[in-house]
Amino acid sequence: MNFSVVGSQFFPLLINGLALGFIYVLVSVGYTMVYGVLRLINFANSEIFMLGTFATAIVSTSVFKFNQNSQPSHGMKLFIVLLCCLLASMATSGVVAVFVELIAYRRLRTKGANRLGSLISAIGTSITLSEGVRILTHSIPVASPRVLSKFYVFKIHGVGLRIDQLLTIASGLLLFIAVDRFVTKTRMGKAIRAVSMSEENSKLMGINLNRVISLTFLIGGLVTGAAAFMYMTVYEQTVFNVGFNIGLAAFTAAVLGGIGNLRGAFYGGLALGLAEEYFSALLGSQWKEITVFVVLVLVLLVKPNGLFGEAVQQTRV
Amino acid sequence: MNLTTKRTLGVAAAVALAFGSVVATTAQAAPKSATIAFLSPLTGSEAGLGQDELLGAKTALYEYNQTNPAVKVSLLTADDQADASVSPGVALGLAQNASVIGVVGSCCSGATKADFPAFKAGRLTVVSPSATNATLTDPKSSTNGFPFFHRVAATDAFQGPALARYANKGVTAPKDYLIDDASTYGAGLKALTSPSLKSAGVTVVGSDTVIAPASDYSATASKVVASKANVVIYFGYYSDAGKLKKALDLAGYKGAFASGDGTDDDGYITSAGATDAEGTLITSQSVPFELAAPAAVLKDFTAATGLASPAGHAYVTQAYNATNVFLSCIKSGAVSRAAIQNCVATASFTDVTGSKFNFTRYGDIAQGAPVGAYLVKGGKIIPVGNA
Repeated sequence: MNFSVVGSQFFPLLINGLALGFIYVLVSVGYTMVYGVLRLINFANSEIFMLGTFATAIVSTSVFKFNQNSQPSHGMKLFIVLLCCLLASMATSGVVAVFVELIAYRRLRTKGANRLGSLISAIGTSITLSEGVRILTHSIPVASPRVLSKFYVFKIHGVGLRIDQLLTIASGLLLFIAVDRFVTKTRMGKAIRAVSMSEENSKLMGINLNRVISLTFLIGGLVTGAAAFMYMTVYEQTVFNVGFNIGLAAFTAAVLGGIGNLRGAFYGGLALGLAEEYFSALLGSQWKEITVFVVLVLVLLVKPNGLFGEAVQQTRV
Repeated sequence: MNLTTKRTLGVAAAVALAFGSVVATTAQAAPKSATIAFLSPLTGSEAGLGQDELLGAKTALYEYNQTNPAVKVSLLTADDQADASVSPGVALGLAQNASVIGVVGSCCSGATKADFPAFKAGRLTVVSPSATNATLTDPKSSTNGFPFFHRVAATDAFQGPALARYANKGVTAPKDYLIDDASTYGAGLKALTSPSLKSAGVTVVGSDTVIAPASDYSATASKVVASKANVVIYFGYYSDAGKLKKALDLAGYKGAFASGDGTDDDGYITSAGATDAEGTLITSQSVPFELAAPAAVLKDFTAATGLASPAGHAYVTQAYNATNVFLSCIKSGAVSRAAIQNCVATASFTDVTGSKFNFTRYGDIAQGAPVGAYLVKGGKIIPVGNA
């Protein structure tokens, strides 16, 4: 175990872990919101993320004509490019999420299909989207040119915070707070929570179930799209199966925090991002995933509902 | 002549006639066409390697078919995605395809090794342009490709010491950090580079293994910075080499970055970005086709591929030479798998420069092969001599 690396690189690892963690948080929100209202794991969320990353790459290269030799943008142009990439990513992911709900889940739900049917539908949608993009791109990774110059906002004693990390952490936090406030404070948010508690009672109280469920998918998709934009800003590359590892990590984070619980996704995402960084430094990168999952199992042994959530057994749709 | 003798002579005559007919039929049915398979990643994160090598194979085949040969040869392309879990199924398909009499490929050691059982079962001879892992032809290895596997590139037993030399060339008090991608190729090259670093007195300040493909290399980059290394050597393929280099630069690493032939692809510059890729040191057994081939062959390259120049495409020379091994055998009348195996094992061949070569018993070039030194400069991978 390399404790000296963790000691000397504690703060850089912390910042890297937080940036990665906030991407996990936002993707986890997509999983946990859908689970909250439907008791269904939306496996297609990882592909919704993937499509968001491609939207960011396409807008920066095709619309704004950036390439690998381009210089990063500055000033108003930078703001416009970043905003367009963010909006394109969120719109793509949001629209795809709503379509996924309409095509893959709604009919099964209205026809009273059992949960295994929905589970297979979710997996099928995920594979269809992933393989479709694989065929279109010949599985070749797509690099997104550097639009944002990655300067340090501050640096003290060799420890600094880069602009892309600051952007990811700050916007991730703001977006999470916004979603949390929406769900807890607004009328539609209350409707989502009502459906989450009891579909039948919600219907009796006049809540339009389909609209609430579509809204939930839309919010989950928009937030996942924002995470995809942040991912491309930090890592600048995507591929057809990029969502697999990120989706698995985010789903793990959601279970760790307690799936169905929005704040659980927040703490679970951050915990997982930080754990991956520190375990990589401490034990070697090849042990990262093993140790993360060992920790997950140990946490679930002590708290079967996750840190903040309901019974994990129910996640098995 | 009694009746029995007459009958015996009659039967003998009939047998002789029948035998003659069979021989005549066999001679008439001598194949007029043959198929060579080209097996490499044509899609996936390492597709650039396979697509580059395909250019060399196409050029060799174009030249062969221009001579109006008695046996027409066609190329069957097969995509193994450089993935050892995908490749065996593809290899099995080729082994079961009776029209295929030889395989050019695969580019990558892990997939190549995984293909051996299928090719051994099908008795199908393979000549790889660039699978360089030393164990593939090691007589002591229980998983070598003997007697069907051959290759026209130097093994990593040569590349390892060359990479150790080139990465630390001109560095005062070198402190190296070694990172491999856990693949057959990456881990193997690391194992063959480390002894040379030790014997050269280089201090190895740290080592890490990453599971490629990965997206986040920030923890590895932090470890490199903490180790105060001034040379990082990555043993793996270009796509993840680019991501690692980018993470190192963002973490503030200022030293040299070197890698082996898995990074010898323009996809590395796309992955890292032109700015971050600049200055990267690469060793490769690939010989630039534009330097090795005579003008007439370069003209054929353009006619065969539609590209103006082979510059920037790795292992075209080796793929051209590997394809010509089979074409040379077919010209000499070897049109079955058994005849091809015998020919490849025993005959002498001519490479694109006009030099003669033949294979050792376990499939390496008997005359040895060079390891080149390359540098990323101005957004291009340029050759700078021998490593």
